Amino acid sequence: MSSATKRWKRFVPLFCLMLPGLAYLIVNNYLPMFGIIIAFKDFNFSSGILGSDWVGFKNFEYLFKTSDAYVITRNTLLYNGFFIIVNTIGAIGLAVLLNEIRKKFFQRFYQSVIVLPHLISMVIVSYLVFALLSSDTGLLNKSILPLFGIEEISWYSSKEYWPYILTVVNIWKGIGFLSVVYLASIISIDTEYYEAATLDGASKWQQIRSITIPIIMPVITMMTLLSIGRIFYSDFGLFYQVPMDSGVLSDTTNVIDTYVYRALMNLGDIGMSSAAGVYQSVVGFALVILSNYAVRKFSKDNALF
Amino acid sequence: MANDSKGMQWISHIFLAGFSLACLIPFVLLLVSSVSSESSIIQNGYSFFPEQFSFKAYEYLGSHWGELGRAYGITVFITVVGTAASLAMTSMLAYPMSRNDIPLKHFWAFLVFFTLLFNGGLVPSYLIYTQIFEIKNTIWALIIPGLLMNGFNVLLMRTYFMTSVPPALIEAAQIDGAGEIKAFYRIVLPLSAPILATIGLFEAILYWNDWFNGMTYVTDPELFSIQNILNRIISDIQFLSNNSNLSSSAASSAAELPSTSVRMAIAVIGVLPILIAYPFFQKYFIKGIAIGAVK
Amino acid sequence: MLACALSLSACGSNSGTNGDTSSAGASGEAGAPYELTVAYFTFGSVPKDQQLVEAELSKLTKAKINATVKLLPISLSTWQNQINLMLTSNEKLDLMVLMGNSYANQAAKGQLVELDELLAQHGQGIVEALGPDYSNAAKISGKTYGVPTVRDLAASYGYMIRKDLADKFKLDLTNAKTLDDLEPVLKTIKDNEPNLIPMVNGTGSSPLTYFSTRDSLGDDMGVLLDNGKDLKVVNWFETEEYAAELKKMREWYKAGYISKDAVTVKESTSDIIKAGKGAGNLATLKPGFDTQESRLSGMPIVSYQMLPPVAKTSTVTSIMWGIAKNSENPEKAMQFLNLMYSDKDIVNLLDWGIEGKHYVKVKDNVIDYPEGINAGNVGYSGMGWLFGNQFLSYIFNGDDEQLWEKMKQFNDGAIKSKALGFTFDSSPVKTEFAAVSNVLDQYQAALENGALDPDKTLPEFIGKLKDAGIDKIIAEKQKQLDAWAAANGK
Repeated sequence: MSSATKRWKRFVPLFCLMLPGLAYLIVNNYLPMFGIIIAFKDFNFSSGILGSDWVGFKNFEYLFKTSDAYVITRNTLLYNGFFIIVNTIGAIGLAVLLNEIRKKFFQRFYQSVIVLPHLISMVIVSYLVFALLSSDTGLLNKSILPLFGIEEISWYSSKEYWPYILTVVNIWKGIGFLSVVYLASIISIDTEYYEAATLDGASKWQQIRSITIPIIMPVITMMTLLSIGRIFYSDFGLFYQVPMDSGVLSDTTNVIDTYVYRALMNLGDIGMSSAAGVYQSVVGFALVILSNYAVRKFSKDNALF
Repeated sequence: MANDSKGMQWISHIFLAGFSLACLIPFVLLLVSSVSSESSIIQNGYSFFPEQFSFKAYEYLGSHWGELGRAYGITVFITVVGTAASLAMTSMLAYPMSRNDIPLKHFWAFLVFFTLLFNGGLVPSYLIYTQIFEIKNTIWALIIPGLLMNGFNVLLMRTYFMTSVPPALIEAAQIDGAGEIKAFYRIVLPLSAPILATIGLFEAILYWNDWFNGMTYVTDPELFSIQNILNRIISDIQFLSNNSNLSSSAASSAAELPSTSVRMAIAVIGVLPILIAYPFFQKYFIKGIAIGAVK
Repeated sequence: MLACALSLSACGSNSGTNGDTSSAGASGEAGAPYELTVAYFTFGSVPKDQQLVEAELSKLTKAKINATVKLLPISLSTWQNQINLMLTSNEKLDLMVLMGNSYANQAAKGQLVELDELLAQHGQGIVEALGPDYSNAAKISGKTYGVPTVRDLAASYGYMIRKDLADKFKLDLTNAKTLDDLEPVLKTIKDNEPNLIPMVNGTGSSPLTYFSTRDSLGDDMGVLLDNGKDLKVVNWFETEEYAAELKKMREWYKAGYISKDAVTVKESTSDIIKAGKGAGNLATLKPGFDTQESRLSGMPIVSYQMLPPVAKTSTVTSIMWGIAKNSENPEKAMQFLNLMYSDKDIVNLLDWGIEGKHYVKVKDNVIDYPEGINAGNVGYSGMGWLFGNQFLSYIFNGDDEQLWEKMKQFNDGAIKSKALGFTFDSSPVKTEFAAVSNVLDQYQAALENGALDPDKTLPEFIGKLKDAGIDKIIAEKQKQLDAWAAANGK
């Protein structure tokens, strides 16, 4: 007992450091969680959140009601799953390459430029994609495809191309920014490791595989787990604005977030929109717990908790 | 061996130059579109070489300079204050969590992580911030809700502390008589320049680009940030496109909303200041690398 | 400046004390003036002289009803969200604009105060300005929760085109009544002016959006044919009429009458015409339409009415005012609303700003911008169709001086749907409503712009609608409509 209190006492300064952050988490994140009950209520403004009637899972029904339920779940999982893999590999690759650049000017130049896409809002990105793909005036149809003797393609009504288009846009917009995260970790790796490896005659590729990757593994695991937790959420702008809300494409562009938006556009039902959020969170939560469990089995140090 | 390194240099340059180009070209298109005449955009689409240049879009924005100037001021203020506060809070929470000897280690991590998965939605947050803290229509409404600290950044920083700050250094400092807090800002923080710069950059961009808090908690035009104003215009156009049946008269008012080139100009003036400020940020980033290398 | 400070301090004191002011305000003209918060939506930015207008307005209302006014413009895209939040958190809010598509929901969810008694007591000016047909059009289960603004309350549809083209090709559309009648005109333009799109469409709409012969009953999920000649609710998308229209659009699309980018267009029709890319389009017409469009497109426009004006619940209730359940003093709110429908000074202050500063009188009822001021730099401009009774608004120089008389005739002479006054409450079928909304958003625009082949896609569309539960919505609608008809002796 007394040794326990003594042990805790030692950490009082550390707990004090944590205090502001924890207080903020409580106010900003934990207190509002009572709002999850709205998902199970028929929300009425004159009765307020607590006074409204319980309706069980009725607010969730529209999510599973139609044959679209399968399509949107499939699309959401496939896209986000694929994005996790491609973005992680791409971003690490980019970070490794950036770390190789010796000339300071170029390193700074590349770093500035590759985060550029991240700074532009998705609406504007959708205009830029449109500049490329428009049937009437698009750069691809008017200038590039004719060079190869390919006929014009009506991009916004051909759904088969969109998995590729969306993936490219996603990589283009996110990867540079993501690589900054990995770069910060790679930079801090002690150069002695590499020097020793070079003396041993290890090739660059071997160095990357046996020094860089293992050292930044905790970061990779964490980033991946975080993405898995949000796998049911998608980037609304990417799936709604970039295809210009073209309904024809919905087989390959409709995801849970866009479905919810389209469904509730006119209804504006708070209960139903929060039901969608609860559904997305619960699935993500289950997946994260499972993956974290798997990571723990594999390597205890890399697990998140 | 030297060959190997040189080859790698070349590969890196080619690849990065290619990717940079892919990032740069669309931005040039954006810039050119903002100075293209409206009719050439509608006639021929977006083009790198428009038939007709026109600075009308910037003249339009210029005529709103009073409003925009104040909004820039608000944005700079919330970005600076918000980023500083955020970095302080994030690192103070992340450091103890990174310590292997802290009691309830996994609990803290889970507590932070859980906030990334579940949220109560906008309504309860709004109730808490406006009813209990009464921040509606104050500058704090632009800084505090949602943005001040992000679980993701906390976990990122925690992982960095765990992997890149050798515990031996902290122990050594403590043996020298430094307390926990002193060790934190004398030893840990200086060693963590790369991650501080990275997260500082994240936060700064987040604050700079945020319009959501402004749209939710602020109705007083004096407190509109630059992104708030820009987003108002762009999303109103978006909204109208989904509600064409609103009313014939409303539609005619909507037609007076700024045109395509203005939307592009808006995007440009929203991004430009970051682009200008970014190299300065990077100086610290590079400095951080230098310090990191010294250890 | 002083008034501004006053209104600020009034705001501060109000947030603290809740019930007190209402009793003081209601008991008579004595006591501190009540501050009314009036919320409405705006497009884009807030006018820079907003506060001056607010102060001037408060001066007037203090004298007339012992109340001051705080204007609360909210960006249209966040409107619904912001209003929901304000109502949930019991923030100060008295009057607010209502939009037809969410009106029934707002009433069902307890956001609004019932107005009938208040209208009888303090709202005579409103009832008078609207007339019996239109003031009853917004009732839900026999109770009024909102009053429509006085503007064009009916809709007629027709084709508008650049006047120079109409003159050049001697187009005569005076007898055109159907889409078939329109076809030769489109062909003429396409053949002679290959660079112009003969049938432009604006963002988010199709030609068929502006050629409606049905009463959509608000949402198109179950409609009345022939503008509501009878009260039988049918599935519009299954009718032969709809199939034929889609076929026509497909032909037009293939012939190049409709833009290949129609589905993804992000500009308004007037911008496209202004840029010299389009010739004309189908549109909702009203008196004064040609002048309005000519101003927007920067060139003379003529229009030809093809379908006569019809008044449906949706055309009337698209813009209304209601009193929020948060209001601490609904009586004062109603008194101010009454002024917006009956007081020329108040209406013009809201519509045009301050005389001498934002406008000058040219004639008795005609105004223009002052020297050196134009549409681009004027410090305030309101939306006439939004602030109560537009018929009390001054005529802007260049518009038809008889505009409001003509508009009144237009409203009074309109064919009235049998279901005028019926508002559908979707809350009993909200699951299906959500699912069907999603299907409509997926298919409607693409089909109606001819981008999809209806032979193949229309059956698929109908199948998806059924799958999402449109039949259940139609049944519910029919049930509510029958009950409404019985209660109203229709």
